[in-house]
Amino acid sequence: MRILGISAHYHDSAAALVVDGVPVCAIQEERLSRRKNDAAFPLAAVEWCLAEAGLEPDALHAVVFYEKPMRKLERILVTQLRAFPRSWRSFPQAMKNTLGEKAWVKGIIASRLGVPPRKILFTEHHQSHAAAAFLTSPAREAAILTADGVGEWATLTVGRGSRAPDGGCAIELLRELRFPHSLGMFYSTFTAFLGFEVNEGEYKVMGLASYGKPRFQEQVRAILRPTADGALELDLSYFDFHTSGRRAWSSRLVEAFGPPRSPDEPIDVATPEGSRWADVAASVQRVLEDRLVELTRALRRETGLRDLCLGGGVALNGCANARILRESGFDRVFVPPAPGDAGCALGAALYADRIHFRCPDRPVPDHPYWGCPVDPDELERLAREDGLEVERASADRELLERVAEELANGRIVGWMDGRCELGPRALGNRSILASPVSAEMRDRLNREVKYREEFRPFAPAVPAEVADRYFDLPPGGARLCRFMSGVFPVRPEWRSRLGAVTHVDGTARVQVVDAEVSPRFHALLRAFGARSGIPVLLNTSFNLSGEPIVARAVEGYSTFRRSGIDLVVAGRCIVGKARASGVRLEEEAVS
Amino acid sequence: MEADGGRDLSRAAELTADPLLRRLFLRHAIDESHHAELFRARGRTMRAALGGEGGSFEARWITPGERGGDDLRVEDEGDASLLAFLHLSEKLAAARFAVYREVVRDEETREVFRRILRDEVFHMRYTRTQLERIAPARHRRHLWIARGSRLWKGYLRVATAVAGWLGTLVLLAQYFLVLPLFALAAKRAARRERPGWNEPERREQPGALERQY
Repeated sequence: MRILGISAHYHDSAAALVVDGVPVCAIQEERLSRRKNDAAFPLAAVEWCLAEAGLEPDALHAVVFYEKPMRKLERILVTQLRAFPRSWRSFPQAMKNTLGEKAWVKGIIASRLGVPPRKILFTEHHQSHAAAAFLTSPAREAAILTADGVGEWATLTVGRGSRAPDGGCAIELLRELRFPHSLGMFYSTFTAFLGFEVNEGEYKVMGLASYGKPRFQEQVRAILRPTADGALELDLSYFDFHTSGRRAWSSRLVEAFGPPRSPDEPIDVATPEGSRWADVAASVQRVLEDRLVELTRALRRETGLRDLCLGGGVALNGCANARILRESGFDRVFVPPAPGDAGCALGAALYADRIHFRCPDRPVPDHPYWGCPVDPDELERLAREDGLEVERASADRELLERVAEELANGRIVGWMDGRCELGPRALGNRSILASPVSAEMRDRLNREVKYREEFRPFAPAVPAEVADRYFDLPPGGARLCRFMSGVFPVRPEWRSRLGAVTHVDGTARVQVVDAEVSPRFHALLRAFGARSGIPVLLNTSFNLSGEPIVARAVEGYSTFRRSGIDLVVAGRCIVGKARASGVRLEEEAVS
Repeated sequence: MEADGGRDLSRAAELTADPLLRRLFLRHAIDESHHAELFRARGRTMRAALGGEGGSFEARWITPGERGGDDLRVEDEGDASLLAFLHLSEKLAAARFAVYREVVRDEETREVFRRILRDEVFHMRYTRTQLERIAPARHRRHLWIARGSRLWKGYLRVATAVAGWLGTLVLLAQYFLVLPLFALAAKRAARRERPGWNEPERREQPGALERQY
């Protein structure tokens, strides 16, 4: 069967193609359109997926959309009605927003792709998250927890998935929490309150939390409290996201935590204001983690299963994931590389294949590299046209030695290899790499390349076989770190020698690199280790602030030219910044 | 807006097949990012000096990002039409910054405008020179088309805004005239809901995926 999955219209739209039960390709629209978090219908992603597989739309057996648009419309309308008459301001905007395009997905897919309406299917939003989490994991049987802002009505679900020996699959969602009670909305409201962009700045809240003390945790616990049956509820008097389109929080939240931070206001945790914001972040993070641990402990007791699959945007919270692994009682915790809405494109396609069409289960390759490949020849051509120095390594070994040498000498390298990652993290195929040794490197990256807040940490990458030497990983930690999904302590004796990747609280969001999953990146880590004594590299996404991660060589080259990256590498092609020609651009341009 | 403009230009650099234009667009993108940072830094300083939060009204509905009042989709433009568009934008921006530089009394802000104006003049000159290079016989025509396009896009923005207002009025009328009874029912239903877990609706029925509801 050939099944196309699509997620679109809220944030981070994507397309994924599954052929005969195995993913062939999957990519976010933003990687092709170059608009960060592009939520538009992912036509470019769909066209690329079909071209990559050599298929025409009429060869598809089904196109699966990742949620039920009419049920979503119902939720939006009912929410507006419940808030009547306070919702009078948000009602016109909500209706225009929804009725413009989002409600007519079937027609849009049929007309844009030219497929008959009978081939268009709709999973539920959290079914897609659950399928993306469970069906891409190696678990035979696992408990499932999905949590995000909101899907149709559900905001959090718990359930279980199983693979039978005969190849049959089942995903059963046992219970759900419904809007407006939502862990995702809770965290996003505080993200906005702290002056960060919702659906983008949640990482910043997590990074900022390490600088604070959770002195507001009792107030936050009263806002996000457990119910008698073990679920959660929000004290809605602190929130306005369900009644107003203007602001997510109510004046009561301001009374409890003080004035919100303006987005342009710099954060200096040494000042009383900066310290208050950090304390709010720490309190919110602590309570989120505690509630998730409580939920997963209960799920472990109920199911008796040893594996847990996490899905939904909340599963991007690496600190929470690490505590779940340590404290919930599950032996293994699986988080897919794209647990958010982008991954739902793949989840929806797999759900249709395994559950709707009842195709036999097939193992899904356990890697995130489903996007478009990089073309080293393109990089070479661009660099030569611009008069830059280009080197071509004759063999992988020569390339790796050369790049490791540059990294050991303190140079920053833009590294492109193979196909780009699906999901928000660069996992060694579209990465900016640097030596992890000194904190000055972190400051230089923030200042010259990433142009971002000083309090945000950078992540390390380490070969799987030596990860335990540098990082305090619990059993199952290495697997959770395959896609950078967990935050764990750097061993105290290495913190001073891993200054660029050790956060203020002594932790790091580690990527554990397996030689089978990412052979060249693994070999580069080993080559760097042979030179520097530490086989660890700082690994951050290959993009500039406000831009999507690069996909093709030309975008990597453009990023390299506009930033303080010293060297860009694609395949065996290496480009440095030294110019071969001395002609001044200004003279050339206006002469 | 300068930051948005910088992203447009870096995208233009990625799309053009002309090496010189690529270098120029990249340089232009770096300049725009630098300008954005200069504005941000100066804004922060002035805001701190004022000591208050101040109002934050942004009329973005009428100038929806990307080069101020001009809406640009780089992917839809060829090199010549993009250069014509950029030339007009930069010319307008240079004129505006020249005025700002003259009227602003604060010396530090005036220095920011002076530095930006120097770059804008270069941008204005190179876009014209390069337009003449790549379209020697048709560069005037491209400029006129770009002027017409700006007018048309301006009209579309105003028309969209007016249509938006009319739509809002119609929806508000429905909200207050049609919805109150339904709102009453929805509120009563909400009161009956208990907090906590909900049973998912039955999903395993045959054909569940064929329904949008």
